[in-house]
Amino acid sequence: MSVGPQSLAAMRRKVLVNFGLFLLFFIFYLVAAVVQTPSFKEVAVLPALGMPLGMLLSLLIFPVSWLIMGVWFWRSK
Amino acid sequence: MNLKILLSILISFLAPAVAVAADVEGDQASQLNIPIVIGFILFFVVVSIFITWWTSRSTKSASDFYVAGKGVPWAQVGIAMTGSYLSAASFLGCAGDIGVFGIDSIWLSIGFFGGYMAVLLLIAGPLRNIGSYTVAGALHSRFPDDRIKLTVMLCTVVISTFYLVPQMLGAGLLFEMLLHWNFVWVTVGLGILMSIYIIFGGMKATLYNQVIQAAFLWGTMVVLVTLAFFTIGQGSFFDIIATAKQTVPPLIAAKDPAVVAAIKDLPADQAIATARQMLPEAHSAMTIGVKTSSTLAMVSTVIALVFGTAGLPHILIMFFTVPSARAAKKSVALCIVALGVFYLGAIVLGFLLFPGIYPKLVAWISQGPVGVGMAKNMAVLEMSNTVGGTWLMAIGASGAVAAILSTSAGLMITVASSVSHDLYKVYINPNASEKQELAIAKITTLLMSAIAVSLAVLLKKENIAWLVMLAFGIAASAIFPAMLSTLWWKRTTRQAVIASILTGLGVSVLFIVLLFVKGAKYSFFGLPVAGGPGLFGIVASAIVLLLVTVMTSDTGKNPVEFMTLAHRPDTE
Repeated sequence: MSVGPQSLAAMRRKVLVNFGLFLLFFIFYLVAAVVQTPSFKEVAVLPALGMPLGMLLSLLIFPVSWLIMGVWFWRSK
Repeated sequence: MNLKILLSILISFLAPAVAVAADVEGDQASQLNIPIVIGFILFFVVVSIFITWWTSRSTKSASDFYVAGKGVPWAQVGIAMTGSYLSAASFLGCAGDIGVFGIDSIWLSIGFFGGYMAVLLLIAGPLRNIGSYTVAGALHSRFPDDRIKLTVMLCTVVISTFYLVPQMLGAGLLFEMLLHWNFVWVTVGLGILMSIYIIFGGMKATLYNQVIQAAFLWGTMVVLVTLAFFTIGQGSFFDIIATAKQTVPPLIAAKDPAVVAAIKDLPADQAIATARQMLPEAHSAMTIGVKTSSTLAMVSTVIALVFGTAGLPHILIMFFTVPSARAAKKSVALCIVALGVFYLGAIVLGFLLFPGIYPKLVAWISQGPVGVGMAKNMAVLEMSNTVGGTWLMAIGASGAVAAILSTSAGLMITVASSVSHDLYKVYINPNASEKQELAIAKITTLLMSAIAVSLAVLLKKENIAWLVMLAFGIAASAIFPAMLSTLWWKRTTRQAVIASILTGLGVSVLFIVLLFVKGAKYSFFGLPVAGGPGLFGIVASAIVLLLVTVMTSDTGKNPVEFMTLAHRPDTE
């Protein structure tokens, strides 16, 4: 089975969207996790929206994931 | 299948547990509404029997048994996937851990939640497009090398066993602590129940049961958190955080006998204030570092959870049960939303434990390591009792049973499929008929059940919760890199995939050996071995995959055709 230039382009776009969005999620996830460790305690305890920044970043994982998921479904239509 | 036979088997195994329940005594048991707990458990058993009978009529072929005929609606698979993932550790342990250690433990919930994003974005669609009965089968369809089937089958058995044994042990301990039921009877009973519905109903019965168990479990969590939030938390998350800031973590307060004695009979709010007065310099429940001391361990755990979820065989095989790649993606999306609500609820509930049951938490933990375990596992049930009385506590206990059943059944059918399809059919009897293959799957189910129950009984006194993290570590190291490169990288080679799986497995074995030889507290280059191979395993596996790919050239059976199939446009 041969692959035409159109399907190659579609594949490249798919790789870009899927891996790009995953990288975005993973970086946010890793940063939020690392901030919540003793090594970055000073940053984590900074107040933000009524709670420590570390906790806010950690809790933001939920809406950020849902947002990325929404964008992904929209882009992959 | 004869429904009467099935009913009589199940009732006969339940009878001893019910009889033992009559002798219940003790603090926890006296607070529980025993008939309600038994009623809910009987409900699950009767529903399981009905579903098994109903699905057994349409479970005829291997496709029916392994992947429920590949025609299950996405919403059903999404809910079942949620049930399969939510173990008792999620239901009881995530909130309970916050109740013991404070803010450090919120990442237990977030870590478990985050795993599904890799599944959704990188694995679900292409894996479903390839289609198979097992994880090994999907890799094998690009690289027709039986050694791949053997190594992945080995990983599947190890991962699933590591995951399954703590579930069975948790079930036995839960009933023993709550109701003083006999540990062995409970684990044997659960083993028999799951074996029956897998043997007679296959994947269909497993999925339907998981849907009911997940709905019950998820609903229980939502009701419990809502009630606790508006009664104990006064409807304000910021007030809950403010209380946590004042709270001395129960783990610290429990080390001071004077504090334990002073707050024993006080209401929770007064107990928190008294403990703070007596220990003014102590950390608060919002202090980072009470539990997590190493950034490397945290990064490793997070990596193991994200990539491990995307390599868990009992999650991956569920994608083969839906009719299309788009349906697979929708099922994961539903699962991600449901898990998000659940784990967010578990975090809120964890912080609500302080204004809810602080003196109880401190009293439990002051009893030593066993008490710490009690606090982690019983806090959610105690909280149910505080906000909803014995009815809600009984529902909570039944929710924990539902969690254990749904996770364990998914694991058992995964092992059964893998052994019969990837070991028996390939290495032992290549000419096996479909009927023989199914018979082996059913025998494997029974064997797996017996092994899991035996190990749970043997390891009863051991703290083996780390086995689950080890399972995630092995899945992340041995399965995920091989699966990702097979599905997305045309250039990857057969040798690289095998080497990567073996490297991941090898690093995992090294960690297991170190764990047994040096003990759970030993660190390997700064990484505690009890946390599993996580970071080291996946990095080693990925490096080997890249190097061997560069050095070899066997890119599999028509990689272009494979890629075209895996990434074909979605249709429904």
